[in-house]
Amino acid sequence: MLFLAPVMAVLGAVAVFPIAYSLYISFFSIKLTRPNRTPFVGLKNYTDLLGDEAFWGAVWRTVSFSLVSVTAIAFIALLVSLLLNQEFRGRRILSTILLVPWAIPYVANALMWKWIYDSSYGALNGLLYQLDFIDKYMVWLGDQDKTLFLIANAFVWKEVPLATILLLVSLKSIPSDLYAAARVDGATVWQRFVHVTLPAMKPGFMLVMIYETMMAIRHFDLFFILTEGGPGSASHVLSWHIYVETFRNLSFGSGAAMSYLLAIATFALSYLFIRTLGRKI
Amino acid sequence: MPITPPVDTIDYRRRQKIGRIVQRLVIVVSAIVLAAYILAPVSWLVSSAFQTETEIVSIPPHWIPEEPTLRNFEAIFSAGNDEPVTYETRSGADPAAGDFIPSTAENLLPSMANSLIVSILVVILNLLVGVPAAYAIAKIRFWGRNASVYFILITRVIPDIALVVPFFLVIRKLGMLDTLGSLVITYLAITVPFTVFILIQYFEGLPDELDKAARVDGCSRLQALIKVFLPLSLPSLVAVVLFTFLTSWNEFLLALMFTQTSASQTLPILLASFTSDFTVSFSFLNAAGVLAVVPPVIVAIVFERYIVSGLTAGAVKG
Repeated sequence: MLFLAPVMAVLGAVAVFPIAYSLYISFFSIKLTRPNRTPFVGLKNYTDLLGDEAFWGAVWRTVSFSLVSVTAIAFIALLVSLLLNQEFRGRRILSTILLVPWAIPYVANALMWKWIYDSSYGALNGLLYQLDFIDKYMVWLGDQDKTLFLIANAFVWKEVPLATILLLVSLKSIPSDLYAAARVDGATVWQRFVHVTLPAMKPGFMLVMIYETMMAIRHFDLFFILTEGGPGSASHVLSWHIYVETFRNLSFGSGAAMSYLLAIATFALSYLFIRTLGRKI
Repeated sequence: MPITPPVDTIDYRRRQKIGRIVQRLVIVVSAIVLAAYILAPVSWLVSSAFQTETEIVSIPPHWIPEEPTLRNFEAIFSAGNDEPVTYETRSGADPAAGDFIPSTAENLLPSMANSLIVSILVVILNLLVGVPAAYAIAKIRFWGRNASVYFILITRVIPDIALVVPFFLVIRKLGMLDTLGSLVITYLAITVPFTVFILIQYFEGLPDELDKAARVDGCSRLQALIKVFLPLSLPSLVAVVLFTFLTSWNEFLLALMFTQTSASQTLPILLASFTSDFTVSFSFLNAAGVLAVVPPVIVAIVFERYIVSGLTAGAVKG
């Protein structure tokens, strides 16, 4: 088809080819520190990863970051979408405000939270100090136990709007007869919520969970600006690990191998994603 | 015999009334909490951008600037003039007090221009490439139609970080590192699937008879698309333009890999470089942040209706 040709050409050149090429170079040992020798090493880049503690640590941190953020996003978005599904004055304004975090560039979001968490002059310290929750300023991002949660918080703040809008669609699709019928049957508010609202939101929920998981496991910008993987290796997640391995250690072969594994994980998720969308085409 | 309502009905009514009041209260309180949750971080950023460097380092912080100032913005807009405007030259501040504007500040406006050029080019190419494809998939029966849809959808979900390594090697080989072209091509790849996806949903909603009528009247496929379908699909086209623009304006990872100098650095890259520079004054940094935030937020607020319809296009069944 002539009409399809441009899209196929673009996607073929810029999406399919890199993925194939990535697989190809993941079988070689390519180090820019030694540009003239790129020996074929077969599956060595992959088998090396199996015993690589730094890699598994990064995988584990990515998993915990994603679990924490996606749970928080889904929960907050549920509350917000229930609220915005009500009729009240100011609802329009509120739903417009909701778009603000969505529109902000991730880099500006990161800059903003870095400033909020700042150890000397940040708003978080200032607020907690004024409210007497802390008696001296804290180095928030320097605390290994808290870093991942603080980054997750910045991520959640930015992602809640989209999740809310997706959930609102499934809320709006619930026919009001269902509620009327439940009321006639004597269901309480809570029973109506559990037996009518929640089941109807299930597809919306699945969509949000899968999409946000995909976003969380690949996320990079916040880690780059807020912590650079630190302190220690507290926020050394997989995407950061790939970046360091590739562009700081200049080891393109193993970087490619890792990004290939990440792509496969995402493909698996996207399969679920497309299935959930239940495309009729 | 007169009918008097039984006692428990009155009780029921009162309970219902109390229930409604409680419901209103819950709604009002949660609406306020939500507004605060969303606006507080942003207001802090904005407030800091209008404070002087002396004020910004006060403990506890001033939530509202006591002496609001525009000098952070002045510094951005006048950077790069013959006589560099720094806080030292203007107010005689102590350079050791961290009152410092980075020498790269003069790249800020050019980087905004870069972002703008890349975003506009990506929007135009998206329409040129995406519209025909969406029309073909929605209105023409052909072999491999389902496969094409899945193919396009799947490319949408490849993580950027997985594309970066091979792409970097290819771009380096082509000698395209540090050019706006490298950004335009890659952004096209990450935005086109979404464009096609939104447009398919919309075109499918338009009746097939339109297509047939246009063809009977002697239109070619291309004419049918341009004269009949495009004017009718304006809302979805607006959504596509907005999404593509915002994605390109906000993108960071690929730009980080492919750009090196002010010839191709986009706004997010420059912002990021400021954040890693410990000597940069906080007030300046926040002003730069505000500049990066304002355009997309205005776009989002003005075109709210289109954005929400675009975001939900993927969520409702086609």
